[in-house]
Amino acid sequence: MAWRFLLAILLGGVCYLDRTAACQLMLHRPLVVATLMGAVFGNMAAGAQVGVILELIYLARLPVGASIPPDDTGAAVFGGSAAAFASSSIGLDPGSFTAILLLSVVVAEAGKSVDRFVRKVNVRIAHITVESVDRGDVQAVEHGLLAGLTLFAATGMVLALVFSGAGAAVSMELLPRFGPASRASFATLLPALPLLGAASVYSCSRTERTAAVFFLTMAAVFGGTVLFRWSA
Amino acid sequence: MTPPALAAGSRGAVWRRQFLLQGCWNYEGMQNVGFAYAILPALRDFYANRPEEALKAVKRHLEFFNTQPAMGALILGASVRLEERVAAGEADPRAIGTFKVGLMGSLGAIGDSFFWGALRPMASVAGALLALLHPLLGIAALLLLYNGVHLTLRRRGFIAGMEGPEGVVGWLKKAALNVRTDDRKLLAAILAGAYAGVFAGRFFVQGADAPHVLAALLLSAAAVHLFAILFRKAVSPSEILSFLLFAGVLILWR
Repeated sequence: MAWRFLLAILLGGVCYLDRTAACQLMLHRPLVVATLMGAVFGNMAAGAQVGVILELIYLARLPVGASIPPDDTGAAVFGGSAAAFASSSIGLDPGSFTAILLLSVVVAEAGKSVDRFVRKVNVRIAHITVESVDRGDVQAVEHGLLAGLTLFAATGMVLALVFSGAGAAVSMELLPRFGPASRASFATLLPALPLLGAASVYSCSRTERTAAVFFLTMAAVFGGTVLFRWSA
Repeated sequence: MTPPALAAGSRGAVWRRQFLLQGCWNYEGMQNVGFAYAILPALRDFYANRPEEALKAVKRHLEFFNTQPAMGALILGASVRLEERVAAGEADPRAIGTFKVGLMGSLGAIGDSFFWGALRPMASVAGALLALLHPLLGIAALLLLYNGVHLTLRRRGFIAGMEGPEGVVGWLKKAALNVRTDDRKLLAAILAGAYAGVFAGRFFVQGADAPHVLAALLLSAAAVHLFAILFRKAVSPSEILSFLLFAGVLILWR
């Protein structure tokens, strides 16, 4: 089990680096991260199920200027690992699945606070860099950037460990305390979550024709899905 | 005075380093350290035997800087060209600061709207839909759809920037990012509609009678509309999820 957490820490560090400090190649997106975490902890499909829902929910919050969106990477680390652990213990029933998705909001907000703290520490690093350059040390720019990158990577690795551990704890300790009937009642909230994700994309894709094409496509695909289910 | 030309190795180093523009993102200078780091190989070439001028040039780039990271490639390329002119005594060093400040806000707004507001949602929802078939297919779609455009625009922007400020204006006209933004937003809306339709069909339809199906569709559409109104009123997804979590706890309690 220890090597799985070690792998989660390494992959988490890379994904967190991609989130802000390096490249922005979308390796930090929940679909990627939750699937990876699911695979690391033994059930890729379970992680991907969480990733499919989490991927869209936070898109409405854009990382514009100095604003920091909720940490959907952390939510995916938590959700992917929790889903994999749940599938190998109590089973990933709709109630557990809903609980994992809803509890990920706590992780997303905690990760956002840590992100804010890191950027405040970076202010100090930037000050030291500028002061060193003022003294004639041009190489301080490279050292300053390396320090910032190291801070982002180290924080990402710690968050990956904490959030995947939290996912394991929730699935192994918290969810089993509720019986199947209690978890089933929790599942009544599940349909709202993908619709929240769709609304997130809808709200950040506003053009004159958005409403028409969105709802027409929704009706057409809904009709197709229902017909398919009736015929099956 | 003719400055040494930018060596191919240094040009490559600047190109690679622009991916770390946000490596030391901070609340005061924002991308200032990252920008200075990225342009440093070019400054070392241009001011090879003039350490004091090199120092002044580095300080110029440690001023406040913030833009959308992918659009930073364009400004970086143009700044390299301007620095070359300054090193040759053909331009005023203050022109670089003015150029960067003048462009970072507008390019940031264009980039935020295109990359974060259109391309990323489109790639995300396409990936989420295809992940329903197979997770790896979804991930591949997300990464390829986003990075195909992202890396191409970064490369072309950097090359255009290296032609100087004139190249920037020409490239921005040619790239027509406003038209591309609307196209991607429309595509994202179509895919999001499909995503909502798939899940509404899966979750809501319990019975087989037509009125029930119609009610399920209307209820789903109303839920999406309500969430969209909440987003427009600056309610965050976290607040909605927290409310749902609270409702879930109440259900459990009952």
